[in-house]
Amino acid sequence: MSEPVRIVEKKSVPSNALMLNGLPDVGLVGLIATSHIIGQLRMNEIAYVDSDLLPPVVVLHEGLPYAPLRIFGNSNLVATLSEAALPAKSVQPIMRRLVEWGQIKKVRLVVSMGGMAVQDRQEMEQVKVYGAASNPSLLKTLSDKGIEILHGGFMVGPYALIMRYCTERNIPAIILLAQSFYNYPDPEAAAAAIKEFSKITGLSVDVSKLIEGGEEIRLKARDMMKRTTEELNRMKKTQEFDMPLYV
Amino acid sequence: MTETRRRRRSLFDLPSEHVEDIETLTEEFAGAETERPSWDTKACCIEALCNVSVEVDEVVVTADLPNTNPDTIKIEQINRDILEIKAEMKRRVRFDEFGITHRKGEFRFFRCQMHIPVSFDAKKMTTRFKRGILEVRLPRKRRTKP
Repeated sequence: MSEPVRIVEKKSVPSNALMLNGLPDVGLVGLIATSHIIGQLRMNEIAYVDSDLLPPVVVLHEGLPYAPLRIFGNSNLVATLSEAALPAKSVQPIMRRLVEWGQIKKVRLVVSMGGMAVQDRQEMEQVKVYGAASNPSLLKTLSDKGIEILHGGFMVGPYALIMRYCTERNIPAIILLAQSFYNYPDPEAAAAAIKEFSKITGLSVDVSKLIEGGEEIRLKARDMMKRTTEELNRMKKTQEFDMPLYV
Repeated sequence: MTETRRRRRSLFDLPSEHVEDIETLTEEFAGAETERPSWDTKACCIEALCNVSVEVDEVVVTADLPNTNPDTIKIEQINRDILEIKAEMKRRVRFDEFGITHRKGEFRFFRCQMHIPVSFDAKKMTTRFKRGILEVRLPRKRRTKP
């Protein structure tokens, strides 16, 4: 029987790199942020994910076919990016495999950026970014950088699993969640997440294009957002609004 | 009796085991029937992302309308339970801007039609446009007591 999820490497993968994840989730925050970073840092494709659990889709760029879930890299950063919504049923095995692969490649830190849906997003001029981490020392780092900690509640979806599997494997991991729209693309939230990402990693990324070109990004991200929302509904993403039972 | 022998299952266990599969198939069937492109070249329209939220006293409808002039927004009750939002974009958008060169056509409007699952009073609706998002509040109609 073949492996359910295979990571096919096309170029050499740096060791001891920082691993960034840009996966479809609320407001497409992580996806927009990571796509922007990949573009700004001119990162190249180094690997892709192959799995029967993914839909039979290729993405064409300049007439050439590419896998929708790819890994980009440079000498000290690897970034996962999905150009298609991930089916709910594929999320667990794919996230498990990505974390396992990260461990084999000896990544020094896994950073996930995402959105945290809030009801009054339309009223907010500035969005807040919350953080969570896989160990107390990283939580302190987040606090020291002025990032408010997400103390309680539920996380649902690909990033939730990345955090869980990283913790299981003792891989240092953090997540940065910017307040965002639930089912509308949110480039402003992506810019806010990148600013906090820069504070933590020291990687300077200009976000002005995300702010100035926000409306164009929202226009182009409609179909991706629509399909992502369908999958998030299947994952019961709204459980993030639930009050946990602490007795 | 050996442990390896398969336990007899209740007839009622079987449906519950397959509920998830049935749900998935139903979703796929419904999706296949209704799925269509998010654009219409004849009408020069792109489908806007929209959301309907039914509250206790009102229905809140929102639509993401980036690059839109708010003065051009039209909201119309098409029939008893369908609301249509249409708005003109500030500029025309072509397929090649999305990297698609094998299709021709350009778009000037956003449009979305939403099913509103409860009775509402369109005459009393209030609207607001902020951050490129339209918000429409429709008071719910109350049933009169017999």
